[in-house]
Formats: sequence, structure tokens, C-alpha cells
Amino acid sequence: MANSENMIICRCEEVTYGQLRTTVDKHKCTARELKLRTRAGMGFCGGRTCRPTLDRVLDSFIPNFSPSEIPLKYQPPIRPVSFGRIGEIHD
Amino acid sequence: MTRIIDHPVLGRLENRNVISFQFDGNSYQAYDGESIAAALLANGIRKLRVHEESGSPRGFYCNIGHCMECRVTVNDHSNVRACLTVVENDMIIQSGKQLPNLLKKGGQSNE
Amino acid sequence: MNDVIVIGCGPAGLSGAIACVTYGLKVTIMDEFMKPGGRLLGQLHQEPTGDWWNGIKVSEQLYQQALNLGVNIRCGVSVYNLEKEDQMWKVYTSIGTFEAPFLLLATGAAEYPIPVPGWTLPGVMSIGAAQVMTNVHRVQIGKKGIIIGANILSFAILKELQLAGITVNHVVLPEKNAFSQNAGVPEEVMKSLLNAAHLAPSPLLRFGSSFMKNNWIRKMGLTFYPKKGMKVNGTPLLLRKAAVEIIGEDQVEGVRVIDIDINGNPIPGTESTYEVDFVCIAGGLYPLAELASVAGCPFQFIPELGGHVPHHSESMETPLPGLFVAGNITGIESGKIAIAQGTIAGLSIVKHARKGNNSIDNQLQQAIQNVHSVRKQAIIKFNPDIELGRSKMNELWESLYVKNETPGKMTG
Repeated sequence: MANSENMIICRCEEVTYGQLRTTVDKHKCTARELKLRTRAGMGFCGGRTCRPTLDRVLDSFIPNFSPSEIPLKYQPPIRPVSFGRIGEIHD
Repeated sequence: MTRIIDHPVLGRLENRNVISFQFDGNSYQAYDGESIAAALLANGIRKLRVHEESGSPRGFYCNIGHCMECRVTVNDHSNVRACLTVVENDMIIQSGKQLPNLLKKGGQSNE
Repeated sequence: MNDVIVIGCGPAGLSGAIACVTYGLKVTIMDEFMKPGGRLLGQLHQEPTGDWWNGIKVSEQLYQQALNLGVNIRCGVSVYNLEKEDQMWKVYTSIGTFEAPFLLLATGAAEYPIPVPGWTLPGVMSIGAAQVMTNVHRVQIGKKGIIIGANILSFAILKELQLAGITVNHVVLPEKNAFSQNAGVPEEVMKSLLNAAHLAPSPLLRFGSSFMKNNWIRKMGLTFYPKKGMKVNGTPLLLRKAAVEIIGEDQVEGVRVIDIDINGNPIPGTESTYEVDFVCIAGGLYPLAELASVAGCPFQFIPELGGHVPHHSESMETPLPGLFVAGNITGIESGKIAIAQGTIAGLSIVKHARKGNNSIDNQLQQAIQNVHSVRKQAIIKFNPDIELGRSKMNELWESLYVKNETPGKMTG
């Protein structure tokens, strides 16, 4: 994967494969820590596009890591919403 | 790009209402009821915005509202998904622009 | 006041709503897309009988049926959060907050991305995006293009693109790496395509599926796999070429490819460039379960079902009271399965709402049986081990949530 160092994994925050790899090497990160350090998966789409890829990055970087160990945790709002909407009741 | 008017299984597109809209100051035509992304692609426009920080060009990627890559400004409302928003007559649409000096460190730790 | 809110107006959501409203429940369906039908819209394939499965028509029938029965359908509405308060689900949406005691999540699937250098260029899209643009919006995605990723979904959509007169010049594999995994290994791709031979996208598979299942013959086949590929309806399937980079200034102008051996390793000095104006990335589907996660539903990773799926029973109930699931959120399968699962979920809700008569249990059992028979007749199987995946979830459900009354097994 010589030409993959500059390959963008997280499109929203333009985080590359190389950045993820060096961050894991340096800090021995958990999934959560890797995201917080690089902002991968924390951009506008909320990881909707790159999340499965990030799981696979961790899978390949961390020995004996299994995707089944990643808790599937999403934070609301899971879609962009304007401040005016929040709290409005409609029924 | 052109439209797929005749389709061997889905049939022929009936005459639909033509409307007009603006994108980055230019006027284009669209069919009533179609998405902004479809209307722009039919007019040959793929680039909907540039990345706010790097300026790299972006278009729609998933086309069903997940990836947020196609976000544009519609009648002064920013971050509207072009793939999920129906184009309307006289709509003023603007592409997403590069922003100066965003606070972001992208993978650099500050230790 | 709603009795039931259904999130997702695809095959599962519509059929679930129909089952609920038939028993007098008040139902609202919400969907982000501008038209009802979900990803059923755009699906187009020929059945073994020669008849066309036209997702747009099937959607229209379900939609009209639901409307006639009085289902309230709101398209263009995004749901961004869920909460449970006083036995009621609060559904936060782009048009305000709604409440109901029962919630059916039928949010379908999302696509696995396969990152490729240059994949942020305009003109690069997921294969599903190409399907929607072609069959739903009826706009050409380009003059000539390439598909990266050879799998069931990409073949099904390749056929649809060809039908619409779109030129797809080649199907190539992604480069072998941590993200593409088996999708970048010709031998593994061949194996999975052979499992789908009933789809018969190519003469190679139709003709060779039985004896290609033999390992040795398959390796031979791949070793001598023609450089120019086998044609799938006129588009060469290049199992021995991988996409290295997508190039272009302001949009896609070409794809650099390299020859690979049967294990996916690049052969130095074999690079070439295909000139294209669009690229479709086909990484397969995974259950889109973010709302179940936000609601607090527990999950299990089951590869045969496509990824993380919310815990659910065969009756489509989750461990959270009032929360039900149906369709691809429970595992990746065809639209027909989603319709059948929606009916189960709807009948389950009817039962929990105590609206059904004496025969509701019976009907529920019949609906569950129906899913099994639809699955047996399926011509599109996204995962050959789908039955295994389903039984894994059933066993998990039994072990976690079904009280075992057998004496002697009652351990603390």
C-alpha cells in the first residue's frame, strides 16, 4: 500500500491513511481515542461514510482486534438539524 | 450530461414541467420534482462544493443523504443536501466555498 | 396521536405500516427521501420467468395500498434522535417532534466504502448512487465509466446501467488492502461470484459454476483468466486488474490500474490508465442501524448479516419495549424479504397493542414461515450464508431474552 499513505479515509475531515497509522503507532489508540486525536469520523457526516473503514483500520493495526468488540455507538443528532428545530413539539 | 428519456423497461418520461434555477449566478433549467443534484448533473455540473479547508472539489457521493458531500447553500440556507432536496422554480443555489483559517489540527497532536 | 411511527418508507416500512393499519392502528411513516419506496426504487431485474421485477412499480403498489388504508406518509423528513419517555417514543425530526408507543425502524442499509486514492473527486460515486441517478432521477451519470468492486450488488446495478444505455467500460477490483479485504483478492471474488451463480451475470458463471467450485480448477481458471476479461453483457470483468488511483483536476478524468496475481498482489510495470468520466465504488451493503443505537438497543456483529445488527427476535421485536425492526436493518437481503419481514413486524406490533383477534398468533407464525419460503426462492442472495446469520441471531435471542422454563436449566 505504498501509494496509500496520502489516501483519504475520512472524507469530511480529510484524514489520510498515513495520519491514522502514525497516530495508532505513536499512541496505541483505542477506536474512540483515534477518532478524537485525528477527527476521523467526526466531521459533517458523523462517520456515516468512513465508519466501517475506520473499524477495518483498527482491525489491521491492532492485533487480535475484532470488529465485534466495537460497540456500535452513535451520538444524536444523527442528521444535521438547525437550532430552531430543537425542542419543537409537533403532534 | 443528458437525461434518460426512453427506457426499455421503465418506459418513456412524459412531458414534465420545466423550471429554472440559479447555481453560482448562472441560470439553468430543471424538471419539476427532481433533486438539485440530478438537475445539476443533467446540466453537466458535477462539482457542488470545495472542501472548506483544503479547497478540494467535491460532488455527490452516496446520493441518498448519508455522506453530506453534496451540501450546498439554497436560498441562503447553508448545508442543504442537494441529493435530497427538490429543486424549485427561481431557487438560488450556491456551491460550498473554501473558508479561511479554520481551526483544525487534523491528526497533529499538540503535545 | 399515532399508535405507530415507522421510520423508513421502503419495502419493510410500507408493508409493516400496512399490517398495522389493517388492524386499526394509526400509523405515520417518515422517510428522508423525496419519494416513497426506499431503495426498492431503482431495483430492476429479470426473474427466471422472464418477468421484470420493477422496484418503482412495486413501491407504487405498496404506497397506494398504504395511502388507501389511511397511513400518513411524510417524505423528505429526517429523523435525528429518538428517546423513550413515559412509555412513549419521542421521534425528533426535521419538521418537529412526534410521539407514539410503538416504533418500527425500517431504515435499510448503507454502503461500505472502499477508499481509493482520488476518490473524493466529483464523478466518483457509490454504486447505489449510480442506481438512484439512473433509474429514479433518469439522469446519465456520465459518458463512460468504470466500476471498482465485483460483487452481487455491482453486477445487478451494472445490468441496470447497461439497460439505461450507460456505457461501463470495465469492472475492476479495488487494490488489495486493509479496507478492500477479500474484495481485492481475485480468488475470493471468484468464489463469492460463483456462490451467486444463480444470478448468472455472465456466461462464465453460468457455464462454469459447477466445476469452478473445485479449488484446483478455479485456480487454473484464474491463472489463465483472459487479460481482456470475460464480458458481462458487453462489459469486460477484469478480475486481474486493480484500481490504483482515480485521477482528474476538477472531476474524474481517468483511473490508473495495475495487473494483479490471483492473490491480489500487484505486478510491477503493468500500470495503465483508463479514460473515464465517472467511477462507481461497489463495496457492498451494511445494516443502517444508527437510530437503534441512539435508542439504546444492544447490537451483535454478525458478518453473514452484513455487520452490526440490533438484537431482534424472529417476530422482529427488539429487547426495548415498543421498538421493532424490519428489512435490511436486521441483515442484508432482497427487497422481497424486506416486504415479508415488514409484515411480521406489523403483526407483532398489532399483537403487542392487543388489537389482533384470536388468530393473530397464527398469522404471525404464517408470516414468519413466509419469510423462510421467500428466502428459499430468492434469486439474489447477498450472502450465501444468510441462513447461518439468521440462526445466529435467533440463538442469541433465545439465550438472552427467552425465559427457559425447563427445570434443571434454571441456573441463577
